[in-house]
Amino acid sequence: MTPPILAGLVGAALVGFGLYGLICDPHPLRKLLAFNLVGSGVFLVFGIVARRGAAAGFAFDPVPQAMVITGIVVAFAASALAVALILRLAAASGKVTLDPRAWTKRDDGGAR
Amino acid sequence: MTASPGGALLVFAVLTPVAGILLSFALGGRAAERITLALAPIGLALAGFIAFLVARSGAPLVYVIGGLPPPLGIALRADGASATMMVAAALIVPAAAFYARAKFATPDGVAESRGALTFWIMLQAIWAALNLIFLGADLFNLYVALELLTFAAVPLVCIDGRPETLAAALRYLLFALFGSISYLLGVALLYGGYGTLDIVLLGERIAATPLVWTAAALMTAGLLAKTALFPLHIWLPPAHANAPAAASAVLSGLVVKGSFFLTLRLWFYVLPALPMAAPAAILGTLGGCAALFGSILALRQPRLKLLVAYSTVAQIGYLFLVFPLASAPAGGALGWSGGFVQVLAHAFAKAAMFLSAGVLAEALGHDRIAHFSGAARALPLTFLTLGLGGLSLMGLPPSGGFEAKWLMLRACAASGQWIWAVPILGGGLLAGGYVYRILAPALADGVVEVKARPQLSRELVALGLVGVALALAFAPEGFFEFIQIGRPLAGGGAS
Amino acid sequence: MKDVLLVATLAAPLAFLAACFVRAWRPRALGLQFLAPAPGLAAGLLGLSGTPVSVSGLGFALRLDPPGALLLSFSALLWIVASAALWREKAPDARFGVCWLLTMIGSLGVFVAGDLVSFYLLYALVSLPAYGLFAFSDDPEKKRAGAVYLAFALAGEAVLLAAFALLAAGAPQGVGIAEVMAALPASPYRGAVLVLVVAGFGMKMGLVPFNGWMPLNYRAAPIPVAAVLSGAGVKAGVIGLLRFLPLGASMAEAGEALAILGFVTAFYGLAVGLTQRESKSILAYSSISQMGVIAAALGLGLAAADSGAAGDMAFYAANHLLVKAALFVTIGALAARQPLWALALAGALALSLAGLPLTGGALAKLASKAQFDAGWPKNLATLSSIGSAMLMTHFFTRLVSGDAAKDAATETPAALARLWPAVALGALLLPWLFADNPGEALKLDALWDGLWPVATGVALALVWRRLSVPQIPAGDSIVLYERGFARLMALGPAFERADANLRQWPAAGVSLLLIVLALLAAGLEQAAEKVPFR
Repeated sequence: MTPPILAGLVGAALVGFGLYGLICDPHPLRKLLAFNLVGSGVFLVFGIVARRGAAAGFAFDPVPQAMVITGIVVAFAASALAVALILRLAAASGKVTLDPRAWTKRDDGGAR
Repeated sequence: MTASPGGALLVFAVLTPVAGILLSFALGGRAAERITLALAPIGLALAGFIAFLVARSGAPLVYVIGGLPPPLGIALRADGASATMMVAAALIVPAAAFYARAKFATPDGVAESRGALTFWIMLQAIWAALNLIFLGADLFNLYVALELLTFAAVPLVCIDGRPETLAAALRYLLFALFGSISYLLGVALLYGGYGTLDIVLLGERIAATPLVWTAAALMTAGLLAKTALFPLHIWLPPAHANAPAAASAVLSGLVVKGSFFLTLRLWFYVLPALPMAAPAAILGTLGGCAALFGSILALRQPRLKLLVAYSTVAQIGYLFLVFPLASAPAGGALGWSGGFVQVLAHAFAKAAMFLSAGVLAEALGHDRIAHFSGAARALPLTFLTLGLGGLSLMGLPPSGGFEAKWLMLRACAASGQWIWAVPILGGGLLAGGYVYRILAPALADGVVEVKARPQLSRELVALGLVGVALALAFAPEGFFEFIQIGRPLAGGGAS
Repeated sequence: MKDVLLVATLAAPLAFLAACFVRAWRPRALGLQFLAPAPGLAAGLLGLSGTPVSVSGLGFALRLDPPGALLLSFSALLWIVASAALWREKAPDARFGVCWLLTMIGSLGVFVAGDLVSFYLLYALVSLPAYGLFAFSDDPEKKRAGAVYLAFALAGEAVLLAAFALLAAGAPQGVGIAEVMAALPASPYRGAVLVLVVAGFGMKMGLVPFNGWMPLNYRAAPIPVAAVLSGAGVKAGVIGLLRFLPLGASMAEAGEALAILGFVTAFYGLAVGLTQRESKSILAYSSISQMGVIAAALGLGLAAADSGAAGDMAFYAANHLLVKAALFVTIGALAARQPLWALALAGALALSLAGLPLTGGALAKLASKAQFDAGWPKNLATLSSIGSAMLMTHFFTRLVSGDAAKDAATETPAALARLWPAVALGALLLPWLFADNPGEALKLDALWDGLWPVATGVALALVWRRLSVPQIPAGDSIVLYERGFARLMALGPAFERADANLRQWPAAGVSLLLIVLALLAAGLEQAAEKVPFR
């Protein structure tokens, strides 16, 4: 098993776990973790792409690595934003749920 | 690819709002409002001048960042479509900003608030991200722009900090994240296959391999999640209905168009070599379902803002009919024009309607449609705006919505794709139903209690936006040629 | 000169409309708006003869030809009279005034629209704003009438848009009405266009089965509004058929089908109308029946490739325009006092619709002679004359019995009631000025041809009075549609539940995956025999 294939399999597994979390885990924090799992899997794919050198003809292509770094920064920022929202939500309402029906009762159409 | 004269303007178009953000941070909430408003004429002038240059040369305007050309470097590229969208953004964002002054201004003597500062900064960030999306010529660069757009839009949803708005924002953010990661995976595959992410270069090189199809499927699905195309509209109604009116106007009018624009870019600019019939049929089917389903749900909403939000779900559906229509061998140009007019008409009409809904909610103290009886006499200008916006949503003349429907139906006829006439006409009828629900009670003889007189200037801003939506009906032939500038031939060579 | 007036036909009411948006000018603009149709009247009168004139600009095109000019001048006259009377003493509020002006623009404009988009715009104007003329109310019956009216109007708009898209697709060289109609006989979409055109304009004309909105509408509308809508408004459907049926081209099957539909409508309207008790309803059913006759004549014209049918039916419709409007005014004018001479005048006016000799109706009947020349159409046309005489006698007896709608007198402006004799005489005599050869109608056999069906009808109506026929609810088929609509509405909660389920995370996540897979499958199927995975 060559390293790219191993990395590909690990990436696929991470994406799979993440998707499971997206679909089945009701808690937003777990969904956020699932997103990070999927993200890691995708970054591994970038690693494989870099290793293969792509069409540029290098032994190792540095461009995907630059993309991964950018991607990690973006994912980190997204996670931070989501965690901040979850904390605010918990502080404001005492419950953390994404079920729309949990919020409809207060939806009285009053002035904003 | 080399830079064209005047290409540096593209950088300024993106950087002007960014400079505004930095200045706002440095100078604080009191200044942020003034900075945003001061940027309005600059942004509009830049967008207008870029459009002028594109129209004059008849070719896209290109800027190569750092002088390093693609495939390794990154380019900015303004064609007819992007210039048009930039002008639209440069009209709608300042309109929303002007409208928002009543709520988020911080006059001398009032303490600065976090909400106000956030609002102004995020509004400028949305503008910057949109301009980058319209101009970006590199798929990874566009990924970053797309994320910036989401990160700027999410705080606007929950700016008042009520738990339900926080929950709506969180839903929006989490779902959008899964969309963007799916897009990113597609980008990685394309880079692996072709060693470049430049749109023009990819468009020339790409062939219909399984790798490309996989990347296309992943990227498209990700973009659909961010556009909230049915059945991925999980986040849109609560987010758009709960945000402050000025924010809803930008979110519904422009932000969803950002990811839609990228979907257009992907299929018509990056993948024009692919045989598009089957994927276009899938996108069209989803769009048609969205148009009907969203309209039916809009018919059932008790609150005006929710009704308008579901109407956005429906109108997004119309946008996706552009894929089967514009990629067809016959009538493709009509379909493309129709889709584009629909993007613009909806952007202006919906922004105006959300602003009006905000005026209404503040004046009446509620936005329950059942209690609108007689409201039109108390707020004539606001209901005029809602009515004219509704005219465009229903697709009745004279309005951009009609122009779009007319072009799309002619494209249906020219290409023999009758099936798409069903959502176009059926959705229009249902839109008639929900517009009737708003207007009929409001124009009846009842009496409503007006809690606060609305400011005339805010009503006029909304009316001005809807005026643009109506003016699209008179778009000259040259406009349709303009939005074709820089567009490769689609559907494997057919126009 | 003609082209200036042609533009002013639309520009004048538009200017009045614009003035309504300036608060200080609004009362004056509304009060003087009876002047707005004057250029239309002048343009119509000038356009009656000579070659058609066209003007275009701003993406719109206007075109005035003799059939359109006739309807335009009569409509403009009706609008002038109705506006002047209404604002002289009633002074309705601004929302009514704006709707009135919008409807007026559309009503005058459809007769001069020269291309598809202009026609569609003006047709929408004559249809939709009319809602505001009778339905801005909390009265449930008016709200119902308004909702039904709007549903038909919107459905008609949708059907016509489809028809126009097909017309445009068949004529690549342009969207002028003359161009698309020239290309239609050779167009592959010919059949579909005909069906859609008849359905779309049929909704406006009240052809079976789209007739139900009309009685509800006229019952809910105040008398001046009912007069303009039944007189001028409905003629938008007639001009639509005149413009968009390829009358010069021979299309036998399509023409005969339309003729049958027209006759069915004509007799259906008569039959249901005879069971009605309210004067406004009876007039509505009479309109349905008369529109059926026009459709039948146009169908026969289509079958016989008779391009003259357009002019003939324009005259028939123009006569109906005046008479029907005058009859609505009659309800109000005679609600309080019924002197004998007035009853005689009202009777003549009513029977004009059946073609009573010496009235304008006799000329209209003569105009339709070319279409109903022989065979079954001739017999059916005679039968419909007898039926019309019956229905109008029925109307007359209801009028005399004095239980007209209780507010008929109050909703008619007093000036209009005072001037009613002039209105009625005008409706009877004006067509004589515009007929091609009025002498024909004075010949003895023509007089006899006109007289005996009317006499038969009147006699039958007197027998009919003795029978007690159960009343069919006004709007007949509408009751069924409403029931079906209510059943559709009951599906709403199911959609809401579906939406709530789709917006759950598991469903949304699975949808996202399914979309990826569907796109992938669609692509891979096409790429199956292409390059394998690199």
